[in-house]
Amino acid sequence: MEIIQLKDLYKIYDEGAVAVNAVNGISLTISEGEFTAIVGPSGSGKTTLLNLIGGLDRPTSGEVFINGTEITKLKSKELIDFRLNNIGFVFQSYNLIPVLTAHENVEFIMQLQNKPLAERHKRTIDLLESVGLGDKKDIRPRHLSGGQQQRVAVARALASKPRFILADEPTANLDSRATTNLLDIMERLNHEEKITFLFSTHDQRVVNKAHRVITIEDGKVLSDIYQEVLVHGKH
Amino acid sequence: MILSIAWKNIWRNKLRSFIVISATAVGVAAGTYSASLMFGVATQKINAAISNEVSHIQIHHPAFKENYEIKYTLPEAEKMITDIEKLPGVKSVSSRTIITGMILSAASSAGIKVNGINPEIEKKTTTLFTKIADTNGAYFGEGLRNPVVISQKLADKLNVRLKSKIVLRFQSADGSLVEGAFKVCGIYRTSNGMFDEVNIFVRQSDLIVLLGVLPIHEIAILLQNNENVNEFVTSLRKKYPSSDVMDWEELFPELGMLTAMLTAMNYMLLGIILAALAFGIVNTMLMIVLERTRELGMLMAVGMNKSRLFKMIMLESILLSLCGGMAGIIISSFLIVLLCILNSGQDSL
Repeated sequence: MEIIQLKDLYKIYDEGAVAVNAVNGISLTISEGEFTAIVGPSGSGKTTLLNLIGGLDRPTSGEVFINGTEITKLKSKELIDFRLNNIGFVFQSYNLIPVLTAHENVEFIMQLQNKPLAERHKRTIDLLESVGLGDKKDIRPRHLSGGQQQRVAVARALASKPRFILADEPTANLDSRATTNLLDIMERLNHEEKITFLFSTHDQRVVNKAHRVITIEDGKVLSDIYQEVLVHGKH
Repeated sequence: MILSIAWKNIWRNKLRSFIVISATAVGVAAGTYSASLMFGVATQKINAAISNEVSHIQIHHPAFKENYEIKYTLPEAEKMITDIEKLPGVKSVSSRTIITGMILSAASSAGIKVNGINPEIEKKTTTLFTKIADTNGAYFGEGLRNPVVISQKLADKLNVRLKSKIVLRFQSADGSLVEGAFKVCGIYRTSNGMFDEVNIFVRQSDLIVLLGVLPIHEIAILLQNNENVNEFVTSLRKKYPSSDVMDWEELFPELGMLTAMLTAMNYMLLGIILAALAFGIVNTMLMIVLERTRELGMLMAVGMNKSRLFKMIMLESILLSLCGGMAGIIISSFLIVLLCILNSGQDSL
């Protein structure tokens, strides 16, 4: 089932005399359960593409469908509610709320959804345990390592029970061990709970784990490869 | 949760929050302290005027206050006093004979208002007797014939001292000129110079000798407290429609103006302080928002809508202001109590 569908997507930044085509006519679909990496050099348009898919930015032209909803036509307030209930975000610099504990950071999303206390509490504990941080729930982000913070961010992204998670360079600030740990968790969530992951990354370790690798350059799709198909010769 | 985040956000930068809270506390403390001081001054003035001069309510002949003519008396004064004394909430009632005339000493003369009173009853109604210093005689003590209590201001003007002889001259009800010799038995001093300049006090029993009769021009009523004045005035006006019943505000309009002016000044002062504080707090919140642009953007990205975000920032401002405001009220309360203690210490001295 197609979870993300992009149709002839353009994003043009008009910077004075020069117009920059950050996304230049991309059309693609992502199906449920995919573990996809978008790769490309700096300035190729990876983050812009992710922002357009996540509804954080609006395209100059083209359409973005998430679960069949054309989010480009949603009003600002509707878009925020849509993001809350359908998309999980993981950012490069974790972006946890520094004054809240790990538990509160995860629970916060469900509070925005007005979920009952008992459900919030149970799910928060489950999520923190699933990312291996059950014992760190009462610790604030500044007392956690980068890897641990990013795992809290993954738990937070999953809190609203989204259909897919957008992760913008999630391993960029992590060391090798933390990266492996995080990727293992994401891979397990993808495999066991059928959560769709879409990464933008430079990191070869992420690329190696991805089932599908989309390479973009100058805002265009250069290649779109299913690695497992490639590995198993089923292209 | 938003309240909890807002509260925790305040303590991210403890030094900055402490400065904002301190500034608010100082502003609120200064504002409430000065407002209390002004309110205290106004209340003190009102209480002084009520207890020394006008009492809560006065009753006159409707034409009396125009020219203070001796003929405009209260015909059934004795009965009125007896009836009013029985009313619940009335502390004291005194009758006064008021005549305008001249006071003459060997050195000078002045126009005055003679207040004929019964000293024992008047002591219960006004506190003027407390305004006579120990070295300045007594409030109608024993032994002197035709005693008179005058103010220090008038004594200076007439160049008289205790036991000095003065002459009072005024017109009787039939138009004839009456005069009598009196001896200064007490010299008072109040905070109201204008009152001091014109008011002298003699015994009603001494005026009967001069006038042959005792006209009653004024009934002064002191109530148990200041709150019931309007109710009393209304009921007395119904009961005595042919008399002029006035409360202290009508009798002393300057006091009403003083209170209104001090209230207006209080509001202006508080307005200026609050506006300055508001600018300070808005400036701080602006800094906080600009500092946290990235975080606020993230909150919107993960699903926090603008109204919740606005609510969170507003709650931070409100909590900061509340902390400062409460600290300010505690400080000003402490200062006011301290002032009361120091003031009562001075009074007892």
